[in-house]
Amino acid sequence: MSPRLRLTLLGAALAGLLPGAVAVIGRLPEFGATIAAYGERINAIVPAERHVANMVSAINFDLRGLDTLGEEFMLLAAITGTVVLLRGRRGEETTDRAMRLPGRAILPRSEAVVLTCRLVGPLLMLFGLYIVVHATVTPGGGFQGGVILASGTLLAYLGEGYAGWRDVVRSHWLDAMEGGGAFLFVLCGLAPMLTGAAFMQNVLPLGTFRDLYSGGLMLIENAGVALAVCGGFTQLFLEFLEETRESAGPEESGEDSA
Amino acid sequence: MSAALLPGWPAAALVPLPVAIPLAVCAGLLATAHFLPKRLPDILAAVTALVVSGLCAWLAVRAGDGTVDYWFGGWEPRQGVALGIGFSVDAASGWIAAFIGLLYALAFVFAWGFFAHTHGHFQILMLLFLAAMVGFCFTRDLFNLFVWFEVMSVAAFALTAYHLEESALTGALNFTVVNSLAGFLMLGGIGLLYARAETLDFAGIAASVAHSGRDPVVAGGFCLVAAALMIKAAAVPFQFWLADAHTVAPSPVSVIFSGAMVSLGVFGLAKLSAFVFAGSGQIRDTLPPLMIGLGAVGAVLGGWMALLQRHLKRLLAFSTISHAGIMLTGIGALSAGGTGGLLVYVVGHGMVKGGLFMIAGILLATRASVDEISLRGLGRGIGPAGAAMAVAGLLLAGLPVGLLDQGSRLLHGALEGAHPYALAANLVGAALTGAAVLRAAGRIFLGLGEDPGDEAGAPSEEEREKADRPLWLMLAPCCVLLAVDVAVPADWVRTLAPHAVAAFTRQTLTGSLHEGPAWAAWGSVAGALVLAAYALFRQRLPGAVERPLSVGQSLPARALEGLHSGLIGDYVAWLAVGLALIAGLLALA
Repeated sequence: MSPRLRLTLLGAALAGLLPGAVAVIGRLPEFGATIAAYGERINAIVPAERHVANMVSAINFDLRGLDTLGEEFMLLAAITGTVVLLRGRRGEETTDRAMRLPGRAILPRSEAVVLTCRLVGPLLMLFGLYIVVHATVTPGGGFQGGVILASGTLLAYLGEGYAGWRDVVRSHWLDAMEGGGAFLFVLCGLAPMLTGAAFMQNVLPLGTFRDLYSGGLMLIENAGVALAVCGGFTQLFLEFLEETRESAGPEESGEDSA
Repeated sequence: MSAALLPGWPAAALVPLPVAIPLAVCAGLLATAHFLPKRLPDILAAVTALVVSGLCAWLAVRAGDGTVDYWFGGWEPRQGVALGIGFSVDAASGWIAAFIGLLYALAFVFAWGFFAHTHGHFQILMLLFLAAMVGFCFTRDLFNLFVWFEVMSVAAFALTAYHLEESALTGALNFTVVNSLAGFLMLGGIGLLYARAETLDFAGIAASVAHSGRDPVVAGGFCLVAAALMIKAAAVPFQFWLADAHTVAPSPVSVIFSGAMVSLGVFGLAKLSAFVFAGSGQIRDTLPPLMIGLGAVGAVLGGWMALLQRHLKRLLAFSTISHAGIMLTGIGALSAGGTGGLLVYVVGHGMVKGGLFMIAGILLATRASVDEISLRGLGRGIGPAGAAMAVAGLLLAGLPVGLLDQGSRLLHGALEGAHPYALAANLVGAALTGAAVLRAAGRIFLGLGEDPGDEAGAPSEEEREKADRPLWLMLAPCCVLLAVDVAVPADWVRTLAPHAVAAFTRQTLTGSLHEGPAWAAWGSVAGALVLAAYALFRQRLPGAVERPLSVGQSLPARALEGLHSGLIGDYVAWLAVGLALIAGLLALA
């Protein structure tokens, strides 16, 4: 199809959809209408029965925990897929020699950057941990905290250089963190079944409302997610940064990765 | 087996395991793959798939005439309102999940040692894919359905691009863009349905749909969700991504794509339209023209495109489009017979098509090509594979034995009176795809057809899959699939089907399950043989007969080829056209 024909076709189809879209939008609930019955019911149940102040965490890890399990593994699939695709082309070798543009000067790292990274890095990690452990009390949780923790490791790259970063971050450990975290999450589902409860039923003591220890099983699931997300994202950073390295050996095109 | 370990548990307690076990194995593999011996991931993955298959089969048996329901986290519905996520396993869903588990186990055996250098990454992605498919079959929660839908897509994207050649990356990109759009559409549809029903549970939404009468929000939600599932199911005009993706994926992955993933789109659509949307008159009126129309067009178009291909995997990919079209006509029949036929067909088709992709994989491994023309006569050393391919081709064409045939005959029976054109399209589609496979088998394994001369060197990328696997190891899973398709006792299916369909549709579809006439099956087999013979021996026909035929088919064939341009912009434009078509039919209903 020529671009013009394609656009005409697309335009005609969208024009055909327009009246339908207008009809649907006209009949949707008003903006700011009352919360749907399902949400209202959950709001009523959760603080009383799960002693949890952060409703989002309660939905993610308890009421609709299976969805989160699926999403956790979706993330795992995306990261594993990225690793497979990038490594398939690049090979397993790693090197700390960066690719260079000929004629471009290499500036030494400024001391201000090093100092800032050394100061901010630990603080950022601490903040990440804070977000993780307060999952059931304040906004945040394993997903958000895990990403913050992972970006904390990037500051090591910024401050200490690639070689230093690679010394701290080992691909095998990241795999172990990612897989181990996800495994812990599944285990939180399976373990209650041994006691005769349902999959992912919150069988632990629930703790005190608005306390750091509240929500029971949710806390362990949350820790698993934090571990997996932190390991996964760091793995992702590592793979992308490794793309900027000089390839170790001669170019092996069409390497049979199968 | 689990029952012996955990005495006293009711069947319901096992419902989460077919999803949780592959997830746990996959996470464990990822965490430890660097330290495990090389073959362990292969073994572990195959055993896990078999366990999943066994558990699903057992659940299907226990479901009997009804369903096995399970609420995650112990959140049972209160005052009739579902709070958490539920699984609801009926016999049909259970058996289909059991079939999927078996297909994975055989694909793992087929792929033995294929992906040795990847630290189990292949097995990890495949096990995730398996868990997502089982979750998709069992869930009774619309958002949970979406989650499994997306997990399937994400795992599939990476598996498609595995070979990393340019064609693999293009195919994977087309697949990713189109299926991500499907994800957006589905999420939008779920939003609309939630706005109206205020619940995500299938039964809750069904009750709300039944009350709301002719409501544009419900119709819009159906339109978006149905379009998303039809993209997965490769219904015309959403089918373009399939041929690109299935062609380039590694063969063990193509087995799963064509054998299970595409049919799951149809399966999901059948379940939702019967379980959730049956109460809406508007949608009930839309389904027959929509599904019969698009299904019939897809059956013929896919079959014709298959006949035009020389790349064996692309040929099989187009035949999957054709067969997905045939399945869609089962939804359009809007009867218990149509749905029953479709469900049996899903299993039968998955076995035969999975076996065929394995044969393509055998050719890739032993002959380093899947180009039908350049492989002419080169299959002589691997005769058993040729015999299996011929049998599979005949089954695809409708040879009246086995599950695939039983499914087609139930479909024929359901379409016979009310939709004669759809019945004809089904027969034509089966004949065309069967002819394409038989022609390729004849050319590759018997050296039939004219000597291609310069044509033999196809200007395509070099393709080869890991070669040092023994032939019997690759052929055995293929033969198991074909044997199971043929050996499943027809009487057992006949007694099981009516109850299973009633439970699957939640008693919303009526009518008896009767099988179509036997002449139909023989007709399509004869058609396939004649077409294959024409394709192989047409140079021996007198010019006066041959020339008008080949001139007459050349123009539409070229137009069809032109439509499958490989350009993602075109595919998206067609997607919008399809969406407008569904919306238009809903408005007219």
